[in-house]
Amino acid sequence: MNFDYTLFIPEFMLGGLAALVVALDLFMPQLRKSWLPYVAATGLAITAGVSLAWVNKQTNFAGIVSIDNYTTYFRVFFMLIAAVVCLASGRLVEDQLRHPGEYFGIIILSTIGAIGMAAARELMTAYLSLELLSFSLYILVSFAKFDARSNEAGLKYLLLGAFSSAMFLYGLSLIYGVTGSTYYGDIASALSRGTHDFSFALLMALVLIIAGLGFKVAAVPFHMWTPDAYEGAPIAITAYLSTTSKAAGFALLLRLFGGAFQVVHDDWSWMIAGVAAASMILGNLVALQQHNIKRLMAYSSIGQIGYLLMGVAGLSHNTASALVLHLTGYMVTNLALFVVIIAWYNLTGKEEIVDFRGMRERAPLLAGALAGALFSLAGLPLFAGFVTKFILFQAATDQGYYWLAGIGVVTSVISLYYYLQVMREAFVSQPAEGERKLQVPYVMQGLTVALMAGVFYVGLYPANLFSVIDNATRFLFV
Amino acid sequence: MIEQFGRAGFLLIFAIAFPLIPIAASVALGVFRIRPRKPDPIKSSVYECGMVPVGDALVRYNVRYYLFALLFVVFDVEAVFLYPWAVAYRALGVYAFVEALIFIAILFVGYVYAWRKRAMEWI
Repeated sequence: MNFDYTLFIPEFMLGGLAALVVALDLFMPQLRKSWLPYVAATGLAITAGVSLAWVNKQTNFAGIVSIDNYTTYFRVFFMLIAAVVCLASGRLVEDQLRHPGEYFGIIILSTIGAIGMAAARELMTAYLSLELLSFSLYILVSFAKFDARSNEAGLKYLLLGAFSSAMFLYGLSLIYGVTGSTYYGDIASALSRGTHDFSFALLMALVLIIAGLGFKVAAVPFHMWTPDAYEGAPIAITAYLSTTSKAAGFALLLRLFGGAFQVVHDDWSWMIAGVAAASMILGNLVALQQHNIKRLMAYSSIGQIGYLLMGVAGLSHNTASALVLHLTGYMVTNLALFVVIIAWYNLTGKEEIVDFRGMRERAPLLAGALAGALFSLAGLPLFAGFVTKFILFQAATDQGYYWLAGIGVVTSVISLYYYLQVMREAFVSQPAEGERKLQVPYVMQGLTVALMAGVFYVGLYPANLFSVIDNATRFLFV
Repeated sequence: MIEQFGRAGFLLIFAIAFPLIPIAASVALGVFRIRPRKPDPIKSSVYECGMVPVGDALVRYNVRYYLFALLFVVFDVEAVFLYPWAVAYRALGVYAFVEALIFIAILFVGYVYAWRKRAMEWI
């Protein structure tokens, strides 16, 4: 047993950072107004740098948490997402929300939960990390506490989230019941000895686990909370929900199914494949009718979850790498798009799609980034979405999922329609009389440019990133 | 494994039947006129440990009590954890002592937070 507490230095630093941010808000009221997002983002960036010290090391803490390249990748990934969300929500928190210290502190704490989900090699640790992330998100979704929509969204998310956690936990308890262990490695070796004695219990456990995690990543038919939670949450939290929450769900899904359930691949792959097909079709079709940008992004994210689940259905080293690559590209694109939406919302106070009209004249930089992000989401060449989707679909067909890849291609074409509708408002519709050019804050300009650079980096030169990811996902199947 | 669930199921059936049997017996004895039926106001009132009940049980509680209840739970849990530690202190040694200090320190942060947020003042 290895009880090396230094493995958790990045998590300890994040805990300290969260306490620091809250303490600054409590004890130094003259400073708190505009500095907290920069303190939080700087701390997160430094911690991300520190966690690079574990690159190419493979070790674990008492077998429950594995510190390898996969964990390091997601550590850096989640911390950078949190830093971007902190920076992007500066104005929003100042203008509309109270308690900035708690806001940034909880974002940082939820990052610890997300990292734990990626790192866990034991069921209880995975479950506790999941709950840490979920509890933080329940609070953040209802953070606009004088806004009835935000309260409603928080309550719906809390009730359905608690329900899905209970299902997930029941599935884990059945797995413990039939295999006698909560460690992924021991579960895999117990399952490889034959499952005849408990095939029905195993099936129930897998159904419950997939349903529980399906709720967390919002896959059809477990997606009902998504549009309401996305619409009601403060807009920066919508961005956070659609990135870290989803990515952490997939990090856990890959670790759990790769490490523990890969030996009974045939028992669950059909379920995931069905959920993936339903998510792609329903998410992309319902998105066609949306007129609120947050609801549109909710259904678009459901469709994207379908593409990602395709990679879980035919789980292998190749598809896992393709999945994480697409996940990365999708998260960068999504953040870029949300930074544009947040900046536009800060300046105009509107979030309907028709309110984007005249963005080309009023804020050319935002309009350009909006176009790039939407093209990338739809999967057009040059942008991140095309090449990552291509690699993912190719990996899925290598595993024999031709029909899933077919649905993916068709629904990608459908998605182009509603993404282009947003662009039509931004580029073709003229601004109303008397609406002048807007001054976008420098922070938002910088974030937009940096994230668009990321979109083009993934889209034009993914080889480097892919080899890093390929090196990380090797550790999933040990 | 099924037999073990069967035992739990037997317990479940017993647990449901246990409160139902006296009620059913009371009704049956009433139907067959074996049980006398002489209600009066004191007999049919709510039993409150011998006190005369005052008012309705469904009153609104002030939401301020919630904060105190929450703080109480924090210190209650602290006591629950510290008692066994104090009893087994000699056997556990320095390692557990440091762990208990960390535990208290985390709770202390929460205490300072609640204090600064003025959760302990009756606003």
